[in-house]
Amino acid sequence: MSQNPEPELLARVRNVEKLFTSGKLEVQALRGLSFDVPAGDFLALVGPSGSGKTTMLNLLGALDRPTKGTVEVLGKDLGTLSKGERASLRLSSLGFVFQAYNLVPVLSAAENVEFVLELQGVGAAERRERSLEVLTELGLGELAHRRPNELSGGQQQRVAVARAIAARPRLVLADEPTANLDTESAETLMGMMRDLHEEHGTTFIFSTHDPRVVAHATRVVRLVDGKVASDVHKEREGSRRAVGSEGPNDGAE
Amino acid sequence: MIRSVTTRYALRSLRRNLKRTLLSAIGVAFGVGIGLIAISFVSGQMSMLYDAAARGGVGHLKVAPAGWNESRRTELRLDDFEAQLAAVRAVEGVRLAAPHAGARALLALGTRSVQVTLSGVDPTVEQAALRYVRELDEGDYLANDSELGPRQIVLGRSLVTRLDAEVGDELVVTSVDDEGEIQSALVVLVGVADVHNRQINDGISQVPLAMIEQLTGRPGATDISIVLDSYHDIERVQPRIVEALRSDNEALDMFEVSSEIRAGKAKSDGYTVAMLLVILLVVLMGVMSAQLTSVLERRKEFAVLAALGMRSRNLIAVLLTEGLALGVLSAAFAIAWAGPIVASWAAHGVDMSGLVQGEDTGVAQGSVLMELVFYPEFGLGFFVTAISLAVGATLVASIYPAVFASRTDPASALRVDR
Repeated sequence: MSQNPEPELLARVRNVEKLFTSGKLEVQALRGLSFDVPAGDFLALVGPSGSGKTTMLNLLGALDRPTKGTVEVLGKDLGTLSKGERASLRLSSLGFVFQAYNLVPVLSAAENVEFVLELQGVGAAERRERSLEVLTELGLGELAHRRPNELSGGQQQRVAVARAIAARPRLVLADEPTANLDTESAETLMGMMRDLHEEHGTTFIFSTHDPRVVAHATRVVRLVDGKVASDVHKEREGSRRAVGSEGPNDGAE
Repeated sequence: MIRSVTTRYALRSLRRNLKRTLLSAIGVAFGVGIGLIAISFVSGQMSMLYDAAARGGVGHLKVAPAGWNESRRTELRLDDFEAQLAAVRAVEGVRLAAPHAGARALLALGTRSVQVTLSGVDPTVEQAALRYVRELDEGDYLANDSELGPRQIVLGRSLVTRLDAEVGDELVVTSVDDEGEIQSALVVLVGVADVHNRQINDGISQVPLAMIEQLTGRPGATDISIVLDSYHDIERVQPRIVEALRSDNEALDMFEVSSEIRAGKAKSDGYTVAMLLVILLVVLMGVMSAQLTSVLERRKEFAVLAALGMRSRNLIAVLLTEGLALGVLSAAFAIAWAGPIVASWAAHGVDMSGLVQGEDTGVAQGSVLMELVFYPEFGLGFFVTAISLAVGATLVASIYPAVFASRTDPASALRVDR
C-alpha cells in the first residue's frame, strides 16, 4: 500500500456542513469540513465531545446526509443516493463497529457474524465457514456459539469487529470502539484491527478519545467545533512517539 | 435447525419478552376462540336450517316447470311427470324424490270452513321426506293402501281446531277444476300434525296426489322435492339433475326456491363477516400495540441492522415472520381452549328449548321449523378458520409496526441512544 504512489481514493469530503434542528434549537455539528481518505488509511478522527466525529462517521457510513457539501464514498456522491442504494453500499462496501458493541442479543457470536453475510446472499455453508474463520482469527473460535451476554465487553467488541469485516468491506468505520473497554482489551482490539488493516488492506476510520488508540493510527484528523483543526500523516512508530510527546490529552479533548 | 439466521432472529425475538408474547398470544387466542365458537354456532345453525328446510318440504333441490319459481302457480304441471320422476330418482346422490301438486281449496265441516292450499303427495315417499308428518300428534298418516283410496287428509292442529274436527270426521273439500267448474269431494281426516307452531300448522293440509287430480282435473305433479344427504352436495348433484331434465322443466336449489333460506344465508354471511371484523379489529389493536412497543424497544437494534446494510424489505420480512409465528402460537392456544368446547357441543348438542316460552314452542325461521337442540359445526373447517383468523389477524396487525420499523432513521436512532 505504502509503495503505491497514488492509492485509490475511498472517500472524498468537500465543504461538508451538518445542521441538526430540533424545534427551535439548531446545532451546527460540522462547519465546512474537507478531507480525503485514500485506500489503506488507518485513520483516527479525534477531538473533544461535540466536535463532530460521530456525525462525520455517520456521513461517511451513508447513514446520514450532509446539509451542505458533498461526501463521496467509492466514487458515489452519497447525497444523491436513495435509501435503498445507501443500504446496498453499506452492505457491500462498508463495515461498522459501535462503541456499545450493538450485537444482536438473541443471536450467538457466529450468528451475529453470519447475519451480514446472509444479507449479502452468501449460502449457509459458506456463511458458517467464513464466520468461524474470522472469529478464530480474532481469537473467538471457541466462543462462537455463545450469546453476547455470555461474553466480556472485549470479546463482544471483537465479535462486532468480526461482524464488520466478515463481509470483506473496503472501509470499516468504528465509533469509539474502545470507549467501553479496559486498557488491556482496548490494546488487544486495536492490535487486531491494525493486523486486519495490514493483512487485508482494509481501510479503517475510527473516532476516539483514547491517546493509546490514536497511537495505532497512521493518520490523525483532529476536529474542533466541526472543522478540521489538523490532519497529520505519520508512520506508526513515529506517531506513537509524537502523540506521547504532546501529552496524554492530545486528540482526546 | 432453521438455516436462515434472519428467521432465527425473528423467532428468538419473540422469546425476548416471553411474558408479553404469551399475553399477546393469549389475547389473540381468546378473541379467535370466541369467534370460532360463534362461527361454529352460526354454521351449525345454518346447516340445521338448510336441513330443516330440506326435510320441511322445500328439498335441497326442486324440479319444477319453467316459470314456476316466479309465478308459484299451483295449476302448473311438470312435463312428462312419471318419466321425470323416474329419471330424477336414478341420479346418483338423490336420497329421496317427493312429488307434490297443489290446489287452492275450501275445507268444510258442518258450519265451519277454512281456506287452504292442499298439497297432493305420494304418501309413502312423503312420510320419509317430510319430518312434520313422521310422528303425528293424533291418528295416522296417509297411506297408499288405505281402503279410503284418495279420500284421506292430514291437517295441522290449528286447522283442525278451527274446523272443530276430530280424526275420522268427513270433510267436504271444494276446488275449481281446469274448466272453471266447482268440484267437491268428501275426505276423511286420518291424522293431525302438531309442530307447536301455528304458522306451520296452518300450512299442513295433505292429500294423496290422486285427490288433487280428481279436484283439478290436472294429472301429475307441480314439482319434485329432492332430498340429498347434505346441503353440501347441492353443487355436486344439481348438474346431474339438470342433465336428467325434460325440456320444459328446471332444477332449482333451495336458495332459489325459499326466500327464508336466502335471507337466512345472507344474514348468516353478514353475521359471520361482522363477527370476523370485530374480532380482527380487537386482535389487530392488541397485537399492533404489542408489536409497536416491541419495535420501539428495538429501535436502536434496527438502526444497527440498517447500518449493517439490512434493507427495509428485509426488516419488514423479519417483523412479519414474528407476526406469523405469533399467529401460529395464538391459533394453537385458540384451538386448545375453544376446540374441546365446540367439539363437546357438536357431539352432544346445546339444548335451547329452555329459552322458548309461550304457546308456540316450535321455533320457525320463516316457514321452516327449526330444531331446538343446536349442533355447532366441528371439523376440518374449525382448524382452518382458527389458523386463518389468528395468522391473518397477527400478520395484518404486524404490517404497520413493520413499516414503522423499516422507516427507522439509523443515524438519529443511534445518536439518540448513544
